[in-house]
Amino acid sequence: MSMDLNVKAIKKNAFRITKVRGKTALRIRVPGGLIEAKHLQAVKEIAEQYGDGTVHITIRQGFEIPGIPFEKMDEVNQKIAQMIKEVEIDNGVDIDNAKKGYPASGTRNISACIGNEVCPFANYNTAKLAQRIEREVFPNDYHVKIAVTGCPNDCIKAHMQDFGIIGMADTQYERDRCVSCEACVKNCSLRVTGALIMHNGKVRKDERRCVGCGECVLTCPTAAWSRNPEKFYKLVIMGRTGKKNPRLAQPFLEWVDEETIIKVIKNTYEYIDKYIDRSLPKEHVGYIVDRTGYQVFKEYALKGVVLGPKARVAEHINFGGYLYERDGFMK
Amino acid sequence: MGYRLSNEKFNKLLDGLKGEYKIYAPIRFPKRGRFSDTDLIRYGEINKVEDVVWIEKSNYSPKEIVFPITQTLFYFTEDEFKESMVHNKKILIFLRPCDINGMRRLDTIFLNNGPIKDVYYERLREKVKFVMMECKDGFENCFCVSTNSNYTQDYSIAVRFTSNEVFCELKDESFQQFFSNLGTEMNFKPEYIEENSVKVQLPEVDKITTEFFNHDMWKEYSKRCIGCGRCNMACITCSCFTNSDIAYEENPNAGERRRVWAGCHIDKFTDMAGGHSFRQDYSSRMRFKTMHKIYDYKKRFGEHMCVGCGRCDDICPEYISFSNCINKVSKTLKEDESNAQ
Amino acid sequence: MHNNPYLPQKMRILDVYPQTDIDITYKVECDIKPENGQFVQVSLPRIGEVPISVSDFGDGYMEMTIRKVGKVTNEIYNLQKGDNLFLRGPYGKGFPIENYRGKHLIIAAGGTGLAPVKSVINYFYRNAHEVKNFDILAGFKTPQDILFKDEIDLWRSKFNVLLTVDNANEGWEGHLGLITKYVPEIEIRDLENVEVVIVGPPIMMKFTAQEFLKLGVPKHKIWVSFERNMSCAIGKCGHCKIDETYVCLEGPVFNYTKAEKLID
Repeated sequence: MSMDLNVKAIKKNAFRITKVRGKTALRIRVPGGLIEAKHLQAVKEIAEQYGDGTVHITIRQGFEIPGIPFEKMDEVNQKIAQMIKEVEIDNGVDIDNAKKGYPASGTRNISACIGNEVCPFANYNTAKLAQRIEREVFPNDYHVKIAVTGCPNDCIKAHMQDFGIIGMADTQYERDRCVSCEACVKNCSLRVTGALIMHNGKVRKDERRCVGCGECVLTCPTAAWSRNPEKFYKLVIMGRTGKKNPRLAQPFLEWVDEETIIKVIKNTYEYIDKYIDRSLPKEHVGYIVDRTGYQVFKEYALKGVVLGPKARVAEHINFGGYLYERDGFMK
Repeated sequence: MGYRLSNEKFNKLLDGLKGEYKIYAPIRFPKRGRFSDTDLIRYGEINKVEDVVWIEKSNYSPKEIVFPITQTLFYFTEDEFKESMVHNKKILIFLRPCDINGMRRLDTIFLNNGPIKDVYYERLREKVKFVMMECKDGFENCFCVSTNSNYTQDYSIAVRFTSNEVFCELKDESFQQFFSNLGTEMNFKPEYIEENSVKVQLPEVDKITTEFFNHDMWKEYSKRCIGCGRCNMACITCSCFTNSDIAYEENPNAGERRRVWAGCHIDKFTDMAGGHSFRQDYSSRMRFKTMHKIYDYKKRFGEHMCVGCGRCDDICPEYISFSNCINKVSKTLKEDESNAQ
Repeated sequence: MHNNPYLPQKMRILDVYPQTDIDITYKVECDIKPENGQFVQVSLPRIGEVPISVSDFGDGYMEMTIRKVGKVTNEIYNLQKGDNLFLRGPYGKGFPIENYRGKHLIIAAGGTGLAPVKSVINYFYRNAHEVKNFDILAGFKTPQDILFKDEIDLWRSKFNVLLTVDNANEGWEGHLGLITKYVPEIEIRDLENVEVVIVGPPIMMKFTAQEFLKLGVPKHKIWVSFERNMSCAIGKCGHCKIDETYVCLEGPVFNYTKAEKLID
């Protein structure tokens, strides 16, 4: 019997149409790039029993298992159900029936650098935040890419996402503990933005230059520098690759708290819902912002957001990037 | 004489003491540690027994109480010198035997090295009384038993903390008044750690010659050490400082002469006006510090400087272990001796 | 606080004698009685404090020859007669003059190293009968760097003075080359009755001492003076410690038998 498939439904179920006729590939989500190792067993079994025995590790930190016959999708969904339950449902993600596989694929896996469970530079637990965002935004069909990174080193490449969340340390200086060794000043000038200078044997911080990396805390031999226990984040937006206008994400918010980040992302989904061009098969959020303009996006994104005293918001954004064609947006 | 006090009663004791004393103990600064979401444990003033962190080792020693990291010596108004002042309270410090032994080293340098006493140290030090925190088990990297610093009798009060009560030994009669009507009298004597998991073999001082200063064993540290000085800052016995003047920005006619901690691992320690300096290579700084702690201080004062608190090992970002270095010195000396025979 | 050892005394500058473009000798009014070769802590409030060797002294005055090489000395350089300097000290152990009496004394000084020994030379200049012979070797980088020119000329009247410069343009008729070059020319008749004082940069002292050792001068007859970073000058700050020795307490003058074992 000939194969008769609802391709859109299949895609939504996190299976992909591949170049090999009759074969699909399953995309498994790993929010924050962190799962218990036991889940690798299911990945292995699906690949070996239904796929071609290989597993692709995606750029977004998921697994993609190729070579699965379309007719095995239900069986595969059964096989992945336990992982969906433990990784998604137990995390609070709203999925009715784990045995039916992933209910959406538009909003991509939330990726994260390894974070402060391991990395000395990271300013927070990135996997935890990624898992929270997953809970807040997934399942969702809108095409949004989100990544979280522990510090401005941006190892996860948050600058290539629609939403890139970068940890910022509000470093605080206890001048009487400072021994004028200049380690922080030298390091900041060498590796960061040169936000620190010596004055009268003590250190001065140029708040506007400080990117909140926290390296002054790492280099200080006396703990004169320490982090404000309150967490702060920078949100860079609308970075992308693609065939039209690749560009780095640009700073939208700085020194905001986690609730602001979550609220802004959720507001953005409403913004998408209002402004998306439904005549197109799909439209990435960045292109919607291109159409409506930043100010419209900004107004929507900040609805109901109460910014803290340290917070800063971009008044204008020049997204820049480059166009493959000079008239790439001409119609 | 001993007392057994519930935490509640002990807090009453602290309340009573606070009228006369500033009370310092290792306390926790949540999420103020070097890495995000880690805590900093260092000395600070306490209000209640629950503030005292006794189940972990502090990252920094109590020396900053008697030898502040930054201390103003004089205030200047144009050319007038005005001495800085100190608070008028007495000082009570909760600390372990290793640190009490370390304090003696600080006393030696500041009060007994050369004919002149350091009055700025003395004016704080003479206010101090010790509350010894019993330390039966030690911590990672401790080697106080090897340096004979696991034991002391130099304290006014000794305490054993438990989750809900404090056992006290009272040696200093002047504290008797604060204890009366508070707890149950009992016999209590603190116990001392008898063995650390880290052990060091201190070298025999007369086996070290000036040739050893240039020994190849130091070379590895020239690449391993980064000259950050965390070891100096964390050490209870490192006591170096630098004096400098500043003119206040708002009005340069006023200013101050202050001293801040210095460290032999940190750049500029030996820099002289005109550009000359010594020990540019980090291995020579490691050698200089090591020899001070386990060789030349003893030649000068009769006891080793290092008390084996292990804070330098705890804090070194490059995993340079001082206890390993000491053992390496002793081993190298022995090997060289047997090779020579 | 009584007896605050860090509190300096204000002292009036009686006179200033420019020596070179960057060296000035300051004569200050004071009742400090230093030993030859001791040092003082000189400061300017709000600028800082530096160790400076005493280059001469007498009744009611003391002289220091200060080179403009840093924050504090740059400020001192601008001071005039009648201005004030702030001093504490004197500190350290100086030259053991009594050891030099009746001996053949040789002083080899490089650059500013002449300052701390100048009072020794002037002492024997005033009491020439107290030494058997006296050779003075003074070396400077160029003729423009020569300190105490007038006094050097005076010393020539009583002692054998050899003045040399490392480099000179045409017109210099004196000796050329490092001090070490001229050490072998000194005639030492009685090695048991010679005393050698070497003061200068570390490298100069090291090689000059080696030259004297080659001539057979026993180590214990050689004396050097060290210069180190110092903050307190009273054995607390730790900057000048070498091995178990504190240069501010046991130095700056050391017998060579001790100095050769001091490895920084």
